[in-house]
Amino acid sequence: MLRRSCSARLKSLPFDVVVRTFSSLHDLEDNDLDALMADLVADISATEEKFATEKDTLKGSAPIAPIPSQPRDNFSLPASTDTSRHGTSSNSTAAPPPPPASKPSKEELEEQIKADKIKLALEKLKEAKVKKLVVKVEIMDGSSKTLMVDERQTVRDVIDNLFEKTHCDCNVDWCVCETNPDLQTERGFEDHENLVEPLSTWTRDTENKVLFQEKKDKYGVFRNPQNFYLWKKDKKSLKDMKEKDKEQLLEENFCGASVIVPDLEGILYLKEDGKKSWKQRYFLLRASGLYYSPKGKTKASRDLVCLVQFDNVNVYYCKEYRIKYKAPTDHCFILKHPQIQKESQYIKYLCCDDEWTMTLWVTGIRIAKYGKQLYDNYKAAVRKAAGSATWANRSLQASSSASTPSPTPKARAANGHAPQPAVETKGSSNQTFFPPPPPSMETLPPPPPDPMMPPPPLAPPSATKVNKFPPPPQFPQSSFPPPPMDDLPPPPPPLEDSELPPDFLPPPPPIFSSCGGEALPPPPPDPIASLPPPPPAPQNFASAGGAPPPPPPPPPPPAPAPAANKPAGSIRKVAPPPPKRTTPQLAAPSGGDLMSELMTAMQKKRTQ
Amino acid sequence: MAAWDLSVTVEELGPQAPPLKISVTSDLHIGGVILKVVEKSQIQRDWSDHALWWEQKQQWLLKPSWTLDKCGIHADARLCLTSQHKPLRLRLPSGITFRLRACFSSPVFRSVTGICKLLNIRHPEELSLLWPVEEKKRKKEKDVEEELYDITRAPLPSSSIPKLANGMPAFFAEAAETEAVYKMLAVSQPAPAPETIAKLYRTTNITEKAHINSRWLDSSRSLLQQGVRENDKLILRFKYYTFHDIAPQADAVRVTQLYEQARWAVLLEETECTEEEMMVFAALQYHIGKVSLMEQFVTSCPAMEDLDSALQCLEVKMEGESSADDMLETMTAPELHDYLKIFRPKRLTLKGYKQYWFTFKETTISYFKSKEESCKEPIQQMSLKGCEVAPDVSVAGQKFCIRLLIPGPEGMNEVYLRCEHEQQYSRWMAACRLASKGKTLADSSFSSEVQSIQSFLAMQKTTPSTNTAQTDESINTHSLVSPRYQKKYKPKQLTPRILEAYQNVAQLSLTDAIQRFLQIWQALPDFGLAYVVVRFKGCRKDEVLGIANNRLIRIDLSVGDVVKTWRYNTMRQWNVNWDIKQVAIEFDGNVNIAFSCVTADCKIVHEYIGGYIFMSTRGREQSNTLNEELFHKLTGGHEAL
Repeated sequence: MLRRSCSARLKSLPFDVVVRTFSSLHDLEDNDLDALMADLVADISATEEKFATEKDTLKGSAPIAPIPSQPRDNFSLPASTDTSRHGTSSNSTAAPPPPPASKPSKEELEEQIKADKIKLALEKLKEAKVKKLVVKVEIMDGSSKTLMVDERQTVRDVIDNLFEKTHCDCNVDWCVCETNPDLQTERGFEDHENLVEPLSTWTRDTENKVLFQEKKDKYGVFRNPQNFYLWKKDKKSLKDMKEKDKEQLLEENFCGASVIVPDLEGILYLKEDGKKSWKQRYFLLRASGLYYSPKGKTKASRDLVCLVQFDNVNVYYCKEYRIKYKAPTDHCFILKHPQIQKESQYIKYLCCDDEWTMTLWVTGIRIAKYGKQLYDNYKAAVRKAAGSATWANRSLQASSSASTPSPTPKARAANGHAPQPAVETKGSSNQTFFPPPPPSMETLPPPPPDPMMPPPPLAPPSATKVNKFPPPPQFPQSSFPPPPMDDLPPPPPPLEDSELPPDFLPPPPPIFSSCGGEALPPPPPDPIASLPPPPPAPQNFASAGGAPPPPPPPPPPPAPAPAANKPAGSIRKVAPPPPKRTTPQLAAPSGGDLMSELMTAMQKKRTQ
Repeated sequence: MAAWDLSVTVEELGPQAPPLKISVTSDLHIGGVILKVVEKSQIQRDWSDHALWWEQKQQWLLKPSWTLDKCGIHADARLCLTSQHKPLRLRLPSGITFRLRACFSSPVFRSVTGICKLLNIRHPEELSLLWPVEEKKRKKEKDVEEELYDITRAPLPSSSIPKLANGMPAFFAEAAETEAVYKMLAVSQPAPAPETIAKLYRTTNITEKAHINSRWLDSSRSLLQQGVRENDKLILRFKYYTFHDIAPQADAVRVTQLYEQARWAVLLEETECTEEEMMVFAALQYHIGKVSLMEQFVTSCPAMEDLDSALQCLEVKMEGESSADDMLETMTAPELHDYLKIFRPKRLTLKGYKQYWFTFKETTISYFKSKEESCKEPIQQMSLKGCEVAPDVSVAGQKFCIRLLIPGPEGMNEVYLRCEHEQQYSRWMAACRLASKGKTLADSSFSSEVQSIQSFLAMQKTTPSTNTAQTDESINTHSLVSPRYQKKYKPKQLTPRILEAYQNVAQLSLTDAIQRFLQIWQALPDFGLAYVVVRFKGCRKDEVLGIANNRLIRIDLSVGDVVKTWRYNTMRQWNVNWDIKQVAIEFDGNVNIAFSCVTADCKIVHEYIGGYIFMSTRGREQSNTLNEELFHKLTGGHEAL
């Protein structure tokens, strides 16, 4: 039923310190690659920007005229990693600063530059340690999305990212899940968890998948707390409970000094260690763990036997255990350490009489494990859902042509494909400022056709589309501003900046002549007139990754799509981009390997 | 108007002195009576705290403007001029007894407010007084005179009590002794000797627990009215289990006493818990005891805390502005290297421990055949992230093993590492613990982790036969658990289990540890339930009513099962029929229940329910003034009306 390419693949980017490649990048589909590139570009330019701002503040004593964002954007893009690499190789003398009047002495400046370079290098080293995974997420309609997840991102960030990429209805029930076909389990990640960590523990040949789907029981307990906290009462009286009473229940159980766990108790079946039989036991849930009362003993606390405590285990729903393990019913759940991927004596298998009982216990265990965090997640999700709903309405009303890219370089690079890469979302604590998810496809301006490159054949992810789920916009590859070497190499304006007198506005410094004056970007070209340069040969780039040779003459910045530019201006009023400085930044300094591989992949696609 | 003689006893004249006879008329007001008595007694002193007590009627005459006629006093009345504030021996939740002056003339609710003001406990409405358990049995034994802390010289709570910057009432600062007394209030007590715990009265079943609640004093009547005499012994306790607005800085005494009450509730099994929970409580007690001892030297005043936070702030700043060299340094993480022995029980061969060269880097252990080969590929690498670490130690047998359960895709792998000596063990153990939580050796908590492991080892060295209370580092683990577990386990068996739980709390600060203790306590299913044995209308057998902060529960006395739960927010009204001593409650949906109380007066039940409803009205209005009137309205019963 599933196409080969749909099976979840994890690709680890080679610039991870821990290199784990599940399958080659070459297998990626075009649109995957596009999206990926967008993410990468965003990461890199974000880092550069951070450095630029950091510099500004560091130096900031004199009335600094901050470099206008537009020009900086333009030439920060073409400026290549080479510059920074150059910096790291402590080749600082190559760039003598201009002796500006009424400025610190040359030596001091040089010192400063040197220090800055070391700092930059270290920062990049640190960044290089950040683990990133390329994750293929399967969506219910059979399509899939590939995105890059960095180890600092929470599941919430990933969900937001997916909202933008899928244009779904963004309600609170959307959930990133993992499935394990060996154990026939499924678990929804909690919003506060990190995604990279659990995925990193998957085995090399894993068949596990990451799904993006709606799960009613993700936050069911907060919508109808009475079903969980007053489960002993008859269903009829619970059904029409007043909102006020529900709120009070939540207040009592989640807002006190400690979270109160639902007082679940009842008979469940427990699979005996290493045996095929299932034994009935009377279980009780407590905040400290899952207990059962041994035969012939009372239910008093002192007599209870602890089956498992929740510190090191997660709870998973199971499928078809009647066949697999001869369970009494199919409503089973297991408790296991997240790293365990196969049948093991360390897994606790439990079976319930019906589905509702199972939901009750699984939810109860989640409350016991995560406590207040779960409620906080829910509240954040509700805020987010409400926010995106109003945004969607507003942008639809405001202008039908509004597309979302914000006036940041990354958005332009993304070319409407991934207007808000995840890295951006991460740091912005101010959730309400979130730019709206891209409106449905009709409202998007068509990508400008690129005369240079014939569009390669598109591979739509799925033939069938669910109505509810508008298909992600498919751009011909050509719409993507050509290839990495233009946009990718992170442009570090800092280097130039530091040598400039603060009031020096546009930087056309002649200082860099020693390392190739060509490295400096020409003034921002007319967007329409300038044509993207032909992509350089990949090996060129690869070599650039290793040593610091004079960088290849960088082409002028890519032609920003006129369509993308226009809305950028209009959007700016509505949604100012979150402050840059707060966003944790990514750099891909040692990215030579990745870049070259990506390049080859792109190249291959193009030549097909 | 005809004059007649009124006899008034004056306490100050001594117990043997005959009552003074004064000539009064019926229209003389109470203030005039007092004046006459004072004149006649010819004693020069401050009489402002004195008032008349009418012995036959057991009531105070507190309205000076009322005439004798209006009060209904005739010649046969025996009055007594006595002070309103009298010394009381008060046992606090921590078990320490204070001697202090409390108001014997106002309702207990206000007396408690006064006591709490004196002791610097906020939210006095949560506390109340109860009679101690009768100590018949122990009278036979040699009754060791309890230590008593006398603060009767403190100003009366009716006056305003100035406070120092750290919240300590100023009078405590007058002398070094009183300052020490305040410390007794604000710092948790060292762990008691196991015998002390075993000797104390313990409730063993729900009926006995219900009997505790029969001992509460009536909040709407005065102490003297309820038969409390000067120097009597009472217990001050948290009665309503809704602790409003706890602020560790302002609530030093309150939080400490709350912790003490929780601790004793756990140790004496008033709040029941499982074995696993008991181990966590024990670990927290050990940690709190240790940290309080350390912090006793550094007085915890807000100024110090400000300084602390300022220092921390500075530290963060320094980190942020660290130079490149520093950054380089932090990026080269420390490592551990040593020859250790390894044993994997999973392999069925019985070859036992084998020696290898081990290195510990980041969160990973690698081992090599020898030191010389450490540059080559390791024999094996084990990532400890998410693993379970348990000690397998016997100081006497000089066995220092670390048991690791390392998760892998196939399940958990069991590995034992054997160290040569204590020093080595504590370092490797600390590293394993941190790694299991995903922290590296570079983590700042490493050295304190090493220390806490060593101090726990020291605990094993002390012979368990010495029944001393917690001193510096040594402690008998039996003093951290309830007698049930004292009997069940030897200290030797208990120590590793407590140590296991201790891993998760060892890094907590004192306030955090206390908060954690209280949180776990409050999350217990039995927490905050006050039991009363009742007889429901139309039922023939006794049942138990559990009263909690948000609900009433009906419990089957024989089985102990919860039969039914009613929540207060569905409660329409409740009534007490004082004549037949029956409480009737109506809930939403025409649910009516009625019961008579067996073990406690129905006033106590009424006060509990009304009290909890009063407590729930608090949070809404932010004002700190206590709505005493509302409290009495909700809890007072017929007397308040």
